[in-house]
Amino acid sequence: MVMEFFRGGPSNELEAVEAWIVGMLRDGNDVFTAATDALFGGGKSKATKKEVRETDKGINEAQGDVRRALMIHAAVNSADLPLILQYSSIVKDAERVGDYSKNIYDLVKYGANFEGADDEDGLDDYRDKVSRLILEAADVFEAKDAGGAQRLLGKADVFLDQYDAEVKAAYNSTAGTKNAVARALYFRFLKRTTAHVMNVLTSLVQPLDRLDYYDEAKEDR
Amino acid sequence: MPSWIRAVLVVALLYGFLVGVKLLESGVKGLGSETAGGLFDGITNPLAALFVGILATVLVQSSSVTTSTIVGLVATGLLPLETAVPMIMGANIGTSVTNTIVSLAHARENDEFRRAFSAATMHDFFNVMAVAILLPIELMTGFLQRSATWLTDLLPVGADATFDSPIKGAVKWGASQVEHLFEPFIESATAFGITMILVGIAIIFFALAYITKNMKVLIAARIERSVNAALAKSGLVGMAVGVLVTIAVQSSSITTSILVPIVASGMLMIRNAYPITLGANIGTTVTALIAALATGAPDGMTIALVHLLFNVVGILIIYPWGKIRYVPVNLAEKLAGIAVTRKWIAVAYTTIVFIAIPILGILILS
Repeated sequence: MVMEFFRGGPSNELEAVEAWIVGMLRDGNDVFTAATDALFGGGKSKATKKEVRETDKGINEAQGDVRRALMIHAAVNSADLPLILQYSSIVKDAERVGDYSKNIYDLVKYGANFEGADDEDGLDDYRDKVSRLILEAADVFEAKDAGGAQRLLGKADVFLDQYDAEVKAAYNSTAGTKNAVARALYFRFLKRTTAHVMNVLTSLVQPLDRLDYYDEAKEDR
Repeated sequence: MPSWIRAVLVVALLYGFLVGVKLLESGVKGLGSETAGGLFDGITNPLAALFVGILATVLVQSSSVTTSTIVGLVATGLLPLETAVPMIMGANIGTSVTNTIVSLAHARENDEFRRAFSAATMHDFFNVMAVAILLPIELMTGFLQRSATWLTDLLPVGADATFDSPIKGAVKWGASQVEHLFEPFIESATAFGITMILVGIAIIFFALAYITKNMKVLIAARIERSVNAALAKSGLVGMAVGVLVTIAVQSSSITTSILVPIVASGMLMIRNAYPITLGANIGTTVTALIAALATGAPDGMTIALVHLLFNVVGILIIYPWGKIRYVPVNLAEKLAGIAVTRKWIAVAYTTIVFIAIPILGILILS
């Protein structure tokens, strides 16, 4: 409280905001891992439900902390307005990672289970890719590594096309409605998760007005 | 700029501020008793002195400049303590104009403006209320002045003590260097005195402005962390945050103006911002106390202590008692409720309270 004034900490509160966003991404990966573990054989359980809900709740609270810190920073130091606007935009993207992971867990509640499916290896491969993407994005953002961000954006852009192809395949599948819906939604949620992680990464390589846009030619990135 | 350079700069500016106060003092002394004595002849009425305090602070947008100048004038014996006390109270009212002006920037959005204008004007109402209660009591009993005099006597700058510190010596040396710069060009003692007064005030103004600016950058993160921590808290925690931040940046206007957009956004409730604002009132008194150290004159310290006591007693009279604690907040919310539908009232209020009334008051009462 009052001692906060004397306590050491980052020399700029935006550094604390960056740390919060990195933490939200890593926590988002924890929710993603818990939800997909359940989808790949773990099944629904009280413990997983609790882990998913509570971690997501923590992410939501961190989003509130970031917004509050940004508002106070704006009141004290309005010269940082571009960064304030940027962070207030990407904090929402970081928060959405947890949200879509929660949606994946909802699939488990509906009865979806990819364990033992013919295409389990392929589905599992996507889960690993997305989890790695989230963690690498957190590292790249923490290091403010623009080169790393560009590399990850290029990699993630390929995933987006692959998800679309998988959704199309699910639509045309004859393996039954439940399987098709589960896969279509799974890939839809992976696509949204990937897109939100990409939005966070664009903050390292794009000016404020181009935030969230990564669909131009790769050579222009 | 690296932090350590900024810190060194702040120390240098603080030294400059003390030199400015010393120059003001020596300039007044150099005027000679006849010329100097005439300066404040017209302001014997306490209400006129109050209005001078308000108007001077509104014009320089800093109660620290006004109170430091008053300390310098009192230290020379030119400005009697009896006249300086209402001036100090006026400076307290005048300083609240800054955040009121800041709040006008929120006029485009009604709800936001209502909160912002309330947050700003509660400071006005509190300070006016404190003056309305304490000025008549002070005029009848002189209790603030007597208490401050008693406290001064306990300090090393007390009436019978000779206070000589290395800082005082260094400040005296700095002031004499500035005087030597001007001496070859000005022959008349009166002109030299007036020049030193103007140079002193200019240095005070410049030094305080840059101390505030640099300190704000130096401790911005600490300000943010402590304001953030105080958001959901109220009472003493908020008040302590207000005191600390204001002492650090040497400006209550900075503290109270930071609160305006935070309250406007709805993140900080006006009642939680209230004690922070009151803490700023106490924190701002430190500048005059530092100025008093530069003069080393007991009366200078006494008026600086009057400033501190006035703010502490004002809070003790109004804040602890549930029935009157939120009167300034309620009045501010009522005014904001009216101003939100007729925005011109907000502008008229600011102009009338901080400019028109003080000018008329000075003209009529002097």
